Amino acid sequence: MPSLIKALNSQVGRKFMTGITGIGLMLFLIGHLAGNLTIFGESQAFNVYTHTLESLGPLLYVIEAGLVFFFLYHAILGISIWRQKKKARPEGYDTYQTKGGPSHQSLASRSMIISGTVLLVFLVFHIMHFKYGLFSPDEGTVILESAGGVEARDLRALVIAEFQNPLIAFGYIAVMALAILHLAHGAWSAFTSLGMKHGETSKKVQLGAYIFAIVLMLGFIFIPLYIFLTGGEGSLIAY
Amino acid sequence: MKFDSKVPGGPLEEKWDKHLKDINLVSPNNKRKYEIIVVGTGLAGGAAAASFAELGYNVRSFCIQDSARRAHSIAAQGGINAAKNYPNDGDSIWRLFYDTIKGGDYRSRESNVYRLSQVSNEIIDQAVAQGVPFAREYGGNLANRSFGGAQVSRTFYARGQTGQQLLLGAYQAMMRQVHKGNIKYHPRHEMLDVVVIDGQARGIITRDLVSGELCRYEADAVVLATGGYGNVFYLSTNAKNSNVTAAWRAHKRGAAFANPCYVQVHPTCIPVSGDYQSKLTLMSESLRNDGRVWVPKEKEDDRHPNEIPEEERYYYLEERYPAFGNLVPRDVASRNAKMVCDDGLGVGETGLAVYLDFRDAIDRDGKDAISAKYGNLFDMYENITGENPYERPMRIYPAVHYTMGGLWVDYNLETTIPGLYAAGEANFSDHGANRLGASALMQGLSDGYFVLPYTIGDYLAKQEPGKRYGTDHDAFQEAENEAQAQIDKLLNIDGNRTIVDFHRTLGKIVWDKIGIARNEEGLKQAIEEIRELREEFWQNVKVPGEKNNYNKYLEFAGRVADFFELAELMAEDALNREESAGCHLREEYQTDEGEALRNDEEYSYVSAWEYKGLNGKLEETLHKENLEFEFVELKQRSYK
Amino acid sequence: MSKEMTIHLKYWKQNGPNDTGHFEEYTLDNVNEHMSFLEMLDVLNEELMLEDKEPVEFDYDCREGICGSCNLVINGQAHGPKQRVAVCQLHMRNYNDGDHVTIEPPRAAAFPVIKDLVVDRSSFDRIIEAGGYVSVKTGSAVEANAIPIEKEKSDAAFDYATCIGCGACVAACPNASASLFTGAKIAHLNKLPQGEVERSNRVVAMVEQMEEEGFGDCSNFAECEAVCPVGISISAIAEMRKDYMKAVVSGE
Repeated sequence: MPSLIKALNSQVGRKFMTGITGIGLMLFLIGHLAGNLTIFGESQAFNVYTHTLESLGPLLYVIEAGLVFFFLYHAILGISIWRQKKKARPEGYDTYQTKGGPSHQSLASRSMIISGTVLLVFLVFHIMHFKYGLFSPDEGTVILESAGGVEARDLRALVIAEFQNPLIAFGYIAVMALAILHLAHGAWSAFTSLGMKHGETSKKVQLGAYIFAIVLMLGFIFIPLYIFLTGGEGSLIAY
Repeated sequence: MKFDSKVPGGPLEEKWDKHLKDINLVSPNNKRKYEIIVVGTGLAGGAAAASFAELGYNVRSFCIQDSARRAHSIAAQGGINAAKNYPNDGDSIWRLFYDTIKGGDYRSRESNVYRLSQVSNEIIDQAVAQGVPFAREYGGNLANRSFGGAQVSRTFYARGQTGQQLLLGAYQAMMRQVHKGNIKYHPRHEMLDVVVIDGQARGIITRDLVSGELCRYEADAVVLATGGYGNVFYLSTNAKNSNVTAAWRAHKRGAAFANPCYVQVHPTCIPVSGDYQSKLTLMSESLRNDGRVWVPKEKEDDRHPNEIPEEERYYYLEERYPAFGNLVPRDVASRNAKMVCDDGLGVGETGLAVYLDFRDAIDRDGKDAISAKYGNLFDMYENITGENPYERPMRIYPAVHYTMGGLWVDYNLETTIPGLYAAGEANFSDHGANRLGASALMQGLSDGYFVLPYTIGDYLAKQEPGKRYGTDHDAFQEAENEAQAQIDKLLNIDGNRTIVDFHRTLGKIVWDKIGIARNEEGLKQAIEEIRELREEFWQNVKVPGEKNNYNKYLEFAGRVADFFELAELMAEDALNREESAGCHLREEYQTDEGEALRNDEEYSYVSAWEYKGLNGKLEETLHKENLEFEFVELKQRSYK
Repeated sequence: MSKEMTIHLKYWKQNGPNDTGHFEEYTLDNVNEHMSFLEMLDVLNEELMLEDKEPVEFDYDCREGICGSCNLVINGQAHGPKQRVAVCQLHMRNYNDGDHVTIEPPRAAAFPVIKDLVVDRSSFDRIIEAGGYVSVKTGSAVEANAIPIEKEKSDAAFDYATCIGCGACVAACPNASASLFTGAKIAHLNKLPQGEVERSNRVVAMVEQMEEEGFGDCSNFAECEAVCPVGISISAIAEMRKDYMKAVVSGE
């Protein structure tokens, strides 16, 4: 039998881990969205949420390290699969088209490497943008009464301010739209990579993947879109 | 030439066991010193190569296809017979033996056929153990169905792909030995000659079909499992690359060729649609269970078949054979289709087809019931012809399907060249003048798994282990030179007619005059026409491309050259056999009712032809191996 | 009478593995609707030869869809436009007068071109060699009915066993993966009690060989299933994955 490392690096193992990390990342996204939506809660909810995260201390580092590992592992696998594809077919076809029917070839499945790469680049920007606030030097602080009057970063104000910038708002929206494509294939493909057969269940999972991708990403899109359209003063945002 | 069939004495049931006791064995440590060449990777060749290697011999396996898995055994649809008697319907080894002998119209060797029946059961065990997914009952046991020429259900099947599944079983067994290094595997190699040294087969010359290079391989024994020669007809149900070259070149080196005139024509194939047609597709014979065969009573009646009223239809099988009707045996059905078409009653654009009509069956059982039984066949028919057989009768016509003739072999499957063996369709052994359905797979696997592995040891035990003449030996040099000379000659003719054109023309002569029905005048004409056309072939054929590259048309040219010679021998053989037997119908020898009339007094023998030379005409000497029937009584077949 | 049409062909010519290759074009008149696609190519070659031009080489044998020799990519689709059909069973009535048809060999590093449209698929043989069998010697089998097998299981194994080894799955896969071919053999044998003993070794060895041959990864496009002339489901790949991970985890 091959060692675990060798097995995970085999074609089956690579795809298996792509599925596992993919599912992990999807779960993270669900949590992330739930957290984000606290921006529509009472006025300090979002900052309490972010502050709680930041006060986790060493645990946060472990979680962050885990996330980075999942993202990078997922990305590296994606890139290595793409590179192997280039090696496996050095000379392409003059004409190529799908036969349809049971095929899952679609804009979504064919563009995984592109949507994935964009998401990876976006991720770096996104972390610098909100986690480290690198593009907003005048970020303020806020006193969180519900959390015992501690002083914390006013990320809520930052988010509301940033998303009034059309470039940033629509940049985020565009990336999220692309993420719909990535998830529409990815959410089905992950289960297939873990051994789901092609049949009735698979059809349901594919439908579920479409719904999941659209609902989740509409959730993410809603925040910048709403803030931008209402100039940060919409009735859903409490002051 | 000496013909000793080497059939052991004693009671029929004990011959094989007795033989196994008497033959010589090779000790395990000596086995690795012997090398066996197996040409062909179909059921017989694949099974033999795997079994030899398992025993410890060094094996070299050759096939012309790009993989051993593509041998034409793969296309067999129906099933494989065995005397398991699982349905408890009274089957036995004796019955399988008897049905096969009778089906072959008493022109096969009793001892061989009995052995075939004996080992039939082991074949099923072996295949199941290999993971062949035969059809099963709900209880988990193997299912059987019935087939033509038998009153019991003894046919094992894997949907309509039994040949494929059995071949993959043999192929996989073979690949396991390739992996272990016991088989050296040479796909895309065509055998062009057998090398005979001191009267023994000692190797072969092949052409590497990719590089075009000629190669020499030495061995202690050579097995030819290279299939039948149905493609001499150009149009047949054989694969396009099936050919007689290996067998024919062995024949020219001294192996006798037996019963070349015995060719089986399958009655239910999709008819020819035009000159471009490259092959014929078989539709399972089972269709005749529900389809009614007819032609219009009036010549050139070009009405839509559904508009032809009942009284203007000629249900010729039902009228002529009231007892069996549409279910007469293959040879009878084929012959009658040809007769009505020769009378000008044929249908379709070419007039060479009859209707197989499911209208009444659909009215009786409903479309769903018919679809459940034959759905895949109907789909295949529609895919090929573009016509919907639920709404319009199928058009069918007979097509060449299997050749019972082949290299003469003794009880050990050894040809008249010591050390040269022939197995499967390439030999003549077990089917006499007509093969029963589901018996070809049985014979190929019997030869490969359960006969050759024993009998070849008997020969090898008498050879000095590890003896090598070296491939520099004059015999190798000479054989390679001859093969090279023929290739050069073909490429240098640069004539005006293509190979396909010659082959098609040859096929038409063979079909018209050495086909379903033969007569003296036609056969004599055929011989003249074949000679003339062969002469023209060697003057005027156009072979494109280079010899040192992949060149399929060059391969075909060599094969067609051999078909030209074989065709003449087929005519000679048919001319010599002044009787009708099984698939060989001489129009002069029929009963008053138009049935085949055997002449057991004078023709109860195997015709074994010895090659003498080719000088404008083929020179061959006929040897007769008398067929003794000790255990069965000879009877006239009747299906009225 | 049957319909005749004009077809504009564009086909790949490559004189050998080391030649760079190029497309050639030819217009065939009088293509009969009842011709099979390969018969149309036969006619093309007849015309080419009579014009003293080189015929185009392509692989074929049984011409009834079972041997798996033929494998052409026609207008970008392995085995042409129809589903569940090998190119030898594709008929010209599926085309229209004046159609342009591009014919290419399957393109994959593991299927190097031998000449024109003929490729070397020996990589498939080597995958089977690695473990695509039950190790049972001739003569050592038990009585065929000694091990009953549920009909459903046997039928499911059969569905995978029908693979004809044509390589259309590789040709059509955007990644040039051989997972369907490999998975089909693993699923066929691993489903049956006869294949049970060697299931772990088989799946690991065959997956390793598949990789070694230079095929691509499976990204679950399922295009292989769409082009498979016998309709093998990508469930075969799922079976392969499950068996592989089980083998690794159990460490057998």
